[in-house]
Parts: sequence; C-alpha cells; structure tokens
Amino acid sequence: MNILFDIRYYILYPSFFAPIILPGLIFTAILLLTTIWFERKAAARVQMRVGPYYASKRLGGYLQLVADALKFVFSEVIVPDGVNPTLFALTPVLVVAMSFLPLAVIPVSVIPPSGSIFSIYFYDFYDPNVGLGVLVGLFTQYNMLLILAIESIYPAMIILMAWSTNNRFAIVGAVRESYLSVSYDVLLLMSTISMALEYHTLDLVKIVQSGVPGILANPLAAVTFFIAMIIGSARFPFDIAEADTELVLGPATEYSGLLFVLTMAGSYVGNFVYALVFTDMFLWGWYPLSGFPGALLTVIKASILVFFSVFLRSVYGRYRLDQALRGSWKYIFPLAIASMFLGLVVGYLWIQ
Amino acid sequence: MDSVKIKEYKKGESPFNVVSGHLQAVGAGIKYFVKPQRITLKYPDESMSLPTGYRGMIRLYKDVCIGCTLCAMVCPADAMKMVTDQGKKFPTINYGRCVFCAFCVDICPVDALKETGVHDAAFSNRRELIFNPEKFDQDFDQPPLRPVVRKVKAVIDEDKGIKYVPDTE
Ligand code: SF4
Ligand code: SF4
Repeated sequence: MNILFDIRYYILYPSFFAPIILPGLIFTAILLLTTIWFERKAAARVQMRVGPYYASKRLGGYLQLVADALKFVFSEVIVPDGVNPTLFALTPVLVVAMSFLPLAVIPVSVIPPSGSIFSIYFYDFYDPNVGLGVLVGLFTQYNMLLILAIESIYPAMIILMAWSTNNRFAIVGAVRESYLSVSYDVLLLMSTISMALEYHTLDLVKIVQSGVPGILANPLAAVTFFIAMIIGSARFPFDIAEADTELVLGPATEYSGLLFVLTMAGSYVGNFVYALVFTDMFLWGWYPLSGFPGALLTVIKASILVFFSVFLRSVYGRYRLDQALRGSWKYIFPLAIASMFLGLVVGYLWIQ
Repeated sequence: MDSVKIKEYKKGESPFNVVSGHLQAVGAGIKYFVKPQRITLKYPDESMSLPTGYRGMIRLYKDVCIGCTLCAMVCPADAMKMVTDQGKKFPTINYGRCVFCAFCVDICPVDALKETGVHDAAFSNRRELIFNPEKFDQDFDQPPLRPVVRKVKAVIDEDKGIKYVPDTE
C-alpha cells in the first residue's frame, strides 16, 4: 500500500510528470505519429487522394505510421566516408534533445491548494506571482525567456548536424537555415517581449491567470508569433532548409534509419513546443480549469495548432529563400515592431 | 471564349491583397478538407472498366507479321527491337521503355500488332519486361490477386469533375 502510494507520488511529481508523461516524452511521441498521419491524410484529402489506408483500414491507415517507424528502427544506419562518426551519430540526438528541453519549463497548468491530484505538490511549485502552484517540470519566474533561449539553440544544432555530415546539400541547407533562423528568432523574441511589456511579467502563468487571452490583448503579436512558429519549425510554405525537391533533404540528407527519424522528429517537436507557448501566451492556456483537466486543455489546444500548421502543407507550395526573407523582414518585422508599440501603450495604460 | 475567365494574379500590390490571398488559399484548403472530392480509386477493391479503344499493352500476331521492321523504326522510345527467329525477323517489346503511344500498331502494314485493354501488370525484375516473340504472341493478362469488388465507370460531372458510377454491365 505504502509502495503504491510512493510510486504514485513519484509518477505524479511534476518534475517527472511534465517532462515525461503529459506534454513530455510519451505524449509527444504519440502526438508525433498522429501528426504525421494527419499531415498525410489531410494533404491527401485536399489533393483528391486517399492517403495511407491499407495498413489498417478501420483506423484509416493509422498503423501505417507505426509500420514506418518500425521499418526505420530496423533499417541500417549508413555512416558516410570521411565524417567523424561520433559527431555524426550525436548531432541528431542533440537536435531532438534541444527541441525537447523546453517542454520541461513550459507551464501546462496550475495546481490549486486542494482538490486536485497534484495538490500535494502545491508548496514545491508555488508561484508567488499568482499565488498558485504550477504544473511544470522546472519552475522559474522567467520561463518565457528560458523557453525561447533553449529553443534558439535548436537551429544551431541543425547547422552543426549539416556541418558534421560533410555533404554539399546539407551545407546549402544549413546556410538557408541560418538565414531563416535569424529572421524568425527576431520575430519570436519581439512578439514575446511585446507580451511581456503588456502583461508586466516574464511568467507565462501570470499571463494565463490574468484572465485576458493574449490574442485579444495583442493580436499583432499573435500573428507574428504564429508565422515565426511556422518558419521556425520548417512547416510549409517555409520548409526551405530541407526543400526535398532541391536539396534532397537539406541538413538531414546523409541520415538513414533511426537517426533519420530523430532528425525529422526535431522539427515536429519544435512545432509542438512553440504551439504550447502560443497556447499559453495567446489562447488562454488552461485558464478556467486547473490541475490535470487544465493540462489536458492546454495540450489539446496546442495539438490543434500543430495539426493546423501541418495542414498548411496541403495548401502551399514552397517559398524561395529570398521570398521568405523578404516576407519576414519587409512585412512581418514591421508588424512585430507595431506589436511592440501596442504592447507598450496598452501595458502603460493597463496596470495590473 | 467569353465563358472562360482567367484570374490574373498581379504582383507588387498592397500587402492587404497578399493577406487576403493567403486567407483565400487556406480557406480553399479547408473547404476541400471538409468536403473532399476524391478522384482516385482504392484499386484492388474498386477498378475502372476501360473504354473501348484503350491503349493498353501490345500483342503480336506472329503468323501475320511479315518482318518489315517498320514498327521498330517508328518506335519513339526505342522499345521495339527486331530479333531473328529461325531466319525470320520478329519484333520484341521492352515494356520498361514503351510509352504506349501505339505508333507501332498504326504503322504495321499487315495489322500484326494490336492494343489489348490490359494495363495493370507488375513485374519483379527488369528482364521480365522484355517480351520475346513467343511471349509477345500470346494474350497477356495478370488478374489482380484479390478479386475486384466493385467495377466502376468514369463519367464527367458538371460540379465535381470526374465521378464514378457503378458499372452495370
Ligand atoms: S506503343 Fe509506342 S513506344 Fe510502345 S512499342 Fe509501340 S511505338 Fe514503341
Ligand atoms: S510493322 Fe508489323 S509486320 Fe512489320 S515487323 Fe512490325 S509487327 Fe511485323
């Protein structure tokens, strides 16, 4: 009995629960398969096809993804001549790790002092800004900045990956990624700063608990953040770094087998991370709820966002690099500056 | 030609046009996502009955052929080659190259070649794609491993484009 209680205590402990179970590893892995399935199905529907179907007719071909994953796991990993094998094998792991890390600091729900299965951890994860506990792997009051800081290491890992494979397509992909990463990191940071100015905080929990969804408080920042999210996670029409018609697969060209799965997973996980931040910052996160239902509400909203951003594949072609850069610097960057001014003005008038 | 309207996409106009263009594109995508207009068939379960005169695989009537080599000469894809069999020339065909243009059928002076309606065949290696005169002389067919459940026929529909109706024959 006591042992069962102990196990429950440790499994539900937010530092384990958040990074491993709910928004973390297990949920993200399931979401990953579902997202790729949805991407293929949605593109097929729009393009008048059927999509994956025969692997499991009743489930609409869902098991096709499981079959693909199994195939990748058991296929050979080819290490090209003349690369450093340690770096070659390590970089995809780093890419995925760097995109997973922010999940440990994104708050997904609050813990009320009593009445929730998480209430025993109320004091360990107490947030003085809102007077509630926070369901998060590692609590800091500056989580907005920390998330963006960790996530901005991700493009560096992509570039490291391309450099370590010593392949011309990978290098070209890496150059494109470096151009893009500068442009979207600026947009992400500026829209985040405008929200911080508006709500007088760097704590996502306080933004959600303030009761005003950010998309109403600063719609410009929401638009900017959303577009930056699509660029940042290499979704269509911005999958310029891994443009498969021009660059084979960009930075991931040389990878096969399990390492290839890791390189692909990185961008989807990144998309989910940005979607979670977007949900917290602009879409009210868990707001009316708390505890476990609140966490569920947050990840459901984020999953819908991820589904929408992969749905764009069926609508768009791919921008050229110069078009994407022109779009982000000429049109979205002024929008980001405008959102910052809006945040300043509204934040000045609206003292909480 | 008044009924055909071509939509011009002008470049370099105000950013608001760009925004509305994106919204239209996403809207169109969502429309098709909610109401899909599939035009592909789930093949072994449904299959289309082919129209008469369909240009499928070619077959040779060996006893009619006079070995004039015209078919090999006209073939744009270099799929037909002549071989000598017991002192007589006959064409062979390589389905790895053939583009099913049926020029060879048209040019044959004695009608020794004919298009069959067979088009769904699978081969496990490239050597099998080359039909020597003996194999070329027979009717070739490769029925699906599972029986076709539903035969359908394509009809043109004003709203939808292509529509499939069950073939009653
Ligand atoms: S159908 Fe056309 S391509 Fe094929 S063998 Fe005849 S001439 Fe050549
Ligand atoms: S054109 Fe006709 S008759 Fe001449 S070689 Fe070809 S099949 Fe035989």
